[in-house]
Amino acid sequence: MGSSCSRSHSFDETEAAENAKSADIDRRILQETKAEQHIHKLLLLGAGESGKSTIFKQIKLLFQTGFDEAELKSYTSVIHANVYQTIKILYEGAKELAQVEPDSSKYVLSPDSQEIGEKLSEIGVRLDYPSLNKERVQDVRKLWQDPAIQETYSRGSILQVPDCAQYFMESLDRLSEVDYVPTKEDVLHARVRTNGVVETQFSPPGESKRGGEVYRLYDVGGQRNERRKWIHLFEGVNAVIFCAAISEYDQMLCEDETKNRMMETKELFDWVLKQRCFEKTSFMLFLNKFDIFERKIQKVPLSVCEWFKDYQPIAPGKQEVEHAYEESFIRFVKKKFEELYFQSSKPDRVDQVFKIYRTTALDQKLVKKTFKLIDESMRRSREGT
Amino acid sequence: MASVAELKEKHAAATASVNSLRERLRQRRETLLDTDGEASLSSPLLVGDPLSWGSGNSRAFADCSVCVRLRGAVARYSKSQGRAPVSFNPTDLVCCRTLQGHSGKVYSLDWTPEKNWIVSASQDGRLIVWNALTSQKTHAIKLHCPWVMTCALAPNGQSVACGGLDSACSIFNLNSQADRDGNMPVSRILTGHKGYVSSCQYVPDQETRLITSSGDQTCVLWDVTTGQRISIFGGEFPSGHTADVQSVSINSSNTNMFVSGSCDTTVRLWDIRIASRAVRTYHGHEGDVNSVKFFPDGHRFGTGSDDGTCRLFDMRTGHQLQVYSREPDRNDNELPTVTSIAFSISGRLLFAGYSNGDCYVWDTLLAEVVLNLGNLQNSHDGRISCLGMSSDGSALCTGSWDKNLKIWAFSGTRKIV
Repeated sequence: MGSSCSRSHSFDETEAAENAKSADIDRRILQETKAEQHIHKLLLLGAGESGKSTIFKQIKLLFQTGFDEAELKSYTSVIHANVYQTIKILYEGAKELAQVEPDSSKYVLSPDSQEIGEKLSEIGVRLDYPSLNKERVQDVRKLWQDPAIQETYSRGSILQVPDCAQYFMESLDRLSEVDYVPTKEDVLHARVRTNGVVETQFSPPGESKRGGEVYRLYDVGGQRNERRKWIHLFEGVNAVIFCAAISEYDQMLCEDETKNRMMETKELFDWVLKQRCFEKTSFMLFLNKFDIFERKIQKVPLSVCEWFKDYQPIAPGKQEVEHAYEESFIRFVKKKFEELYFQSSKPDRVDQVFKIYRTTALDQKLVKKTFKLIDESMRRSREGT
Repeated sequence: MASVAELKEKHAAATASVNSLRERLRQRRETLLDTDGEASLSSPLLVGDPLSWGSGNSRAFADCSVCVRLRGAVARYSKSQGRAPVSFNPTDLVCCRTLQGHSGKVYSLDWTPEKNWIVSASQDGRLIVWNALTSQKTHAIKLHCPWVMTCALAPNGQSVACGGLDSACSIFNLNSQADRDGNMPVSRILTGHKGYVSSCQYVPDQETRLITSSGDQTCVLWDVTTGQRISIFGGEFPSGHTADVQSVSINSSNTNMFVSGSCDTTVRLWDIRIASRAVRTYHGHEGDVNSVKFFPDGHRFGTGSDDGTCRLFDMRTGHQLQVYSREPDRNDNELPTVTSIAFSISGRLLFAGYSNGDCYVWDTLLAEVVLNLGNLQNSHDGRISCLGMSSDGSALCTGSWDKNLKIWAFSGTRKIV
């Protein structure tokens, strides 16, 4: 190996071909990297139930980028695959539940259904999914309509049944048309890859869209394990969107009844800020479930959470400005997070963008407005440097 | 019906008693192992010359009916026999190639047994297959999920497997036609893991079987042609890992056995024919075990961990034979962690990549560092994330967060070690 450092063998055709191929690959990588410069990556982080996945879904619904026909068509095979995957998961789920559940008779399939189920499962085993034609759709529908399968579907959350199940099962005729072109909604429902990390691409209307700028939002909520082992993969994302459900200041974790959820969020935020991979990353903090928070502080004092023990309440009577009472709470919480941010960050962080937004993930208008603001702020910082 | 307060009290009491039992277990384990290895070294325990690796000497150790911690015994004995460390001149191992092309941190690499091809995976979402002799790229595959953490080449060199945050393992056939945009179709996706895929390895000589390790605390043996899981190691079954699994290594001398290293600080030995329980659990590390590799003779294996050390364990007896720990940093910086390890073809050298860019070459016998590739000319500028030995033992490839791979070859009069 060492002696081949100097290439002493003669020039020949295969070598020329290899060199050409390698140069080709280099060119393509360069092209692709350039093309990706207008894609800005955002990472959604937060404790469990902080509202991350709701934000994610909202973005999907609000800001779909215009898919052209070619892009839409490219999802056909994925959608067909989703149909096969879904029915297979349900079929195998029914078999499993029939074995382990006490009231197993609910999950027992008819002999016809079993035959169809085996046939469809066999398809899933082959290298490429065949396209969905009328004949196969009949089989899929028959199986879907089996009461045992419907029972299984109602237990979907424990079986990893994809969210798109019902939507696609109800559109089988449309999906199997010879000239089927997926609609935007079909594409939104399509599950491209399985659990772990989900992504969505969008372009908030306005300057960014005109400039061809695009955002990609990643939600890694599906991973329930040691963050420290994969967080560094996200070095280089443009911004971290950290979701904190501030209404949870009086709640305990499901996994550990002795741990306060707000304290958990505080620790997580602190940990994320200290990660070296985010030294140069902007942070957008979403103080989420804001509406629930506003209602709760009327009844439950902030001081039940250790972090907020030093809150000094203003007298409810003394309001010059409407809502000053609720405002004082939210300003306090905001200040706490700001303190934590500056405490936990290294000095160079000062140059990075840090913005706090109050959000209610289920309020579409508010989410839309928030992302417009984020887009503006990020554009400004891009142009500034 | 117990009140909530009563239940909480019971829960707290139970937790306290579990913790105290754990502590007692740990202490007991310490005392059982804490015998000074010196006395036993002169005993018939060490039949034969442990320095002639691969001559089945671990049998001698296995005959011992007393649990003895031979920590450091390997090095002490070797030194007492007057063995000198392998000497290295700075020119004996040189960086002869730098493979550039990734636009993101390199996370994983693998060599083929034939053809001298290397596949590498990077945070830029690509797999690149390189001809190690010419540094030319033969394939570049853009992955759908860019968060890739591991890659492997099939024994016949015809396909590559990769996995990461998508919790799945994707297989690509290198002979398939790329489409107009140069994209290669996936030929198979192995789904089933409930957490990220941290590492994957094909079973030697079988391109149809693959073992993966995952953040869901399990390892899985897959049949690539059907996409089915043949066996699941851990998970619901007791004796499985209790935290994310980071790495696997299949014993090339007995491909029914493999070891897995985990964030639970242990390494477990598995027999693929018996998925229901681990054959053995190896304790010793004090941090995440990031990398495990079988020793060439298949009787021992090495490990690398977040605790900054590498260790050598005897597979059959469970003994920790040697610890390879760095000198503490004079500047009191954070201790660099071991990210990946590999053995030279004879096992005399242990290569260890560290989070600060160092790449130590350890003399396995004497537990001394004979060379730091990180100090040589042309070394990496960042964390070493992966490394691997070529099958003929003539070259080492390192991958780094500096986006490059480097090939280091034994040169001059230095024989392959």
